[in-house]
Amino acid sequence: MASPIRILTAVPICDGHDSAINTINLEFIRHGIEVVYLGYHRSVGDIVRAAIQEDVRAIGISSYNGGHIEFFSEAIALLRKRGANDIKVFGGGGGTITHDDAAAMKRKGVDNIFFAGTSLAEMSDYVRKHYGKPRAKRARARSPDQELAHQLTAIEDAYTAGRKRLTLNAHRSAPNRTIENRKSKIENTKVIGFTGPGGAGKTTLIDELVLRFLNQNPKGRIAILSHDPSVIGEGALLGDRATMINSQNDRVFMRSMATRGQAGGLSPATHDCLALLASSRFDYVIIETVGTGQEAMPFQKNGIVDQTVLVMNPDYGSRLQLQKIVMLDLADIVVVNKSDLQRARTAHTEIEQRLEQNRRNQRLIDTVAKRHRDPGVDELFELISRGPK
Amino acid sequence: VSKLGQVVESIEKYNKFVLDQVKRARTDEQFGRELLGRWNDIKAKVPITRTPTGLPLPRLAVPEIDEPGEIARYFFSEGLPGEFPFLNGAYREMYLEPIREVESLQKDGEPLRRSARSPLPQAEEPTRLFSGLMLAEDTNERFHYLTQHQRTHRLSTAFDGPTLYGIDSDADGVFGKIGEGGVAIDTVEDMVRLYDGFDLGSANFSASMTISGPAPIIMAMYIAAAKRRFGPKVVPSLRGTIQADIFKEVQAQNETIFPIEASLRFLTDMVEFTTREMPRWYPISISGYHIGEAGSTPVQQAAYTLSNGFAYAEMFAARGIPIDQFGPRLSFFLDCGLDAEYIALARVSRRIWAIGMRDVFGAGPRAQLFKLHTQTSGRSLIAAEFKNNLTRTAAELMLAYMNATNSCHSNSADEPFTTPSEEWIRLAAHGQAILLEESGIFKHTMNMLSGSPGMKAVERSVEAAILDEFREIERLGGVLAAVEDRYQRSQIQNAAHRYEQQIYDGIRPIIGLNRYRNGAEEDIPEVKLVRTPRKKQQLQVDRLAKFKKKNAEKAKRALDKLADVVERAENCFPALLEAVEVCSLGQITGRLQEVVGRFRPMV
Repeated sequence: MASPIRILTAVPICDGHDSAINTINLEFIRHGIEVVYLGYHRSVGDIVRAAIQEDVRAIGISSYNGGHIEFFSEAIALLRKRGANDIKVFGGGGGTITHDDAAAMKRKGVDNIFFAGTSLAEMSDYVRKHYGKPRAKRARARSPDQELAHQLTAIEDAYTAGRKRLTLNAHRSAPNRTIENRKSKIENTKVIGFTGPGGAGKTTLIDELVLRFLNQNPKGRIAILSHDPSVIGEGALLGDRATMINSQNDRVFMRSMATRGQAGGLSPATHDCLALLASSRFDYVIIETVGTGQEAMPFQKNGIVDQTVLVMNPDYGSRLQLQKIVMLDLADIVVVNKSDLQRARTAHTEIEQRLEQNRRNQRLIDTVAKRHRDPGVDELFELISRGPK
Repeated sequence: VSKLGQVVESIEKYNKFVLDQVKRARTDEQFGRELLGRWNDIKAKVPITRTPTGLPLPRLAVPEIDEPGEIARYFFSEGLPGEFPFLNGAYREMYLEPIREVESLQKDGEPLRRSARSPLPQAEEPTRLFSGLMLAEDTNERFHYLTQHQRTHRLSTAFDGPTLYGIDSDADGVFGKIGEGGVAIDTVEDMVRLYDGFDLGSANFSASMTISGPAPIIMAMYIAAAKRRFGPKVVPSLRGTIQADIFKEVQAQNETIFPIEASLRFLTDMVEFTTREMPRWYPISISGYHIGEAGSTPVQQAAYTLSNGFAYAEMFAARGIPIDQFGPRLSFFLDCGLDAEYIALARVSRRIWAIGMRDVFGAGPRAQLFKLHTQTSGRSLIAAEFKNNLTRTAAELMLAYMNATNSCHSNSADEPFTTPSEEWIRLAAHGQAILLEESGIFKHTMNMLSGSPGMKAVERSVEAAILDEFREIERLGGVLAAVEDRYQRSQIQNAAHRYEQQIYDGIRPIIGLNRYRNGAEEDIPEVKLVRTPRKKQQLQVDRLAKFKKKNAEKAKRALDKLADVVERAENCFPALLEAVEVCSLGQITGRLQEVVGRFRPMV
């Protein structure tokens, strides 16, 4: 089976009109397309960087605030400059883009502009027809990030095509971190796993940690491998980037993966992808996945992950529920995010008791990730920087 | 119970009070007689105006009731125009033409001719057209064009994308956006150019600025520009409005640049300053328009706008600003579309606001007024057979004036496919003049169309639905908590989706689109697009570079001082006033974001 089509969608800088793109995104994923959504008010630089890292087939731009000829042209010029000519650009803007504009934009290299009145079905048909064919032989990557992105795609494709299968205990087999042809591995790459229920604030927390990392390490690089659930053969909305305001940076390599039918919050290709990232000159590799914590977590002690962080919402239900959360036994650090909520004090006390049973000296930290300069996030950053005990 | 919960209680209590008064008027003879006496007195004093055809008409139409219970219901539940709870209007005469020839009835019913010479103050024209394009000097030219035949100069300013997001024209990747969809403002020098030739301190001038995220910075620039032109003494006489509505940005329009709490804090800093130093300025325009345009139902629009308003009132009061000082400086902005709710949406809003402000916040009469600017619905206009948009806008205008809006913007029919061109802007403005000046619908009698049974039915239904929304927001912990929880956002998006689906399914007829569709292809004319030439965009960038170079040293000091004030959590507005003299918008935004962080989008 072929991999789902991956595209990236965004709204240009200085434009907050996200109503149309929200609807279109949903239509795309309904038709089996994986959509990496970058959000609104995004610069050409952010869009092109993300498109290359995510190695999408095409970029869809929804523009309502004018300046579209320049914006689309700049995107294409930058893609070419970065050697990513194979990433196509299409878009629309209701009535704001005239037929003359569209003609000018096509001359600059835009594939297609959808006008007001185009049905949603027409758009997803177009995407499937034009960006669904297998890729031609790929040109040599122009940058290490692009090469990495291509390799990640190859791994994902291999799994989807069934050329590679996940062995039952693949998670447990500690891989050799040195992968062939990559001599530049940083011995001290730290791999941190983040898990926790959806809505606990993992993405915001990671984005805040990234901000601190970038500020503290003027030359450091960080990779993020994030996961969103999807059913096999169907589309997925990969939307973490839309709320990550600090992680759109040349020193951050981010890849969004759909789980493609795999239970447990990870994709079949995760393990190999993570191994590749862990040997690719990053100071940190962060892997994020959604999980209730009730299943034994994929981040095993003898795996690639050096440190695991469980992010919890104070609203986990009754105290007995905590006994069911196996991740509380396994995590090195437990974070109670949204600790400004009324229930947070009780949550802290209950989780503290639960952790004491383990006698593992696990750390418990309260954070309010949405708050700028939150001292709890500072503490977590400290703890991670010091590394696993 | 938060203040919003108290508002719900106050409305319920007030409605019960009305019923009690009705009952009392019917049982307490003394009270009944008093009401009847007052009623007859009002009727007797109504001036009579003669229409051009010679028909005498009362300037105030009072319902034909003579039973004390019904009179009590009218007085307490509706109020005469300009009287609590202001259902029929915030003010009395509003759109009435100045009296030329007036007769008033004497007690015995004999008409008395009164001289028309007595100079009556002329009302301001309610027309205020939104515009902004290219660079400051281009918008300035448009402003002069628009106001050439007007007694009063009421400008309404649209800003371009970079300005709305608080970034400079030289920022990475925004070149093509300079002057698109609004005017490009980077510095106080642009602000000086923007309103050149207008007398900013005059009673006949007011400026409206549609900007929220960086509103305090832009406000400071406006003040600085006025001072440069007219000296520091002009500040107290400045008249106008700045949108500065953070809640609706987060709920609907996505033009927020600082985290919510920091945005609210800067807003309160500005309001504290303007209520003290600029008593004629409206430092916030609490806006439902963008909520409506983002796809909300009319009830959601009114409910979120009002609850946002009460939340602001609570916040400003908590800062220690007296309610009777800031209350009269709050203004509102609603969308008017074609759904039935719009027959009374603003009427009901005015009533809820007045009761809540009086009974929960202890506001005096001036602070109870829901002062309203209305814009016809942009979303209701479509490109297919676009001339139909004239009719849509006309119907919406009619509804807006039936709601006694204080000012109004009518959309251009060509808006679905281009920046409004002069031809269609002119028709849009003339639509208002035809309704108010040419037709006799609004100019002779102040409440010509209020109080029909159908309108009352809509009022009751809409009020109940708004209170239900209030209760839900209250349950979520109040407005701020609901906003952070994305409650309003989700509701609006859901309604937008349903609206589209209804059009698609044909349940919601759109003439020329899903009904009576003309087989012929689009009749969209060759439009002369108003686009900003590259040369102008480059000029803006060059000017900015010159400004930054000239002020480099001073800017650094001003920004340090500003950051310091913000770190210490003091009112930052005075420091902003100093900073805008030597810093650009983007420099200030950037520095503030270093201190308070950036807004994290909600998706």
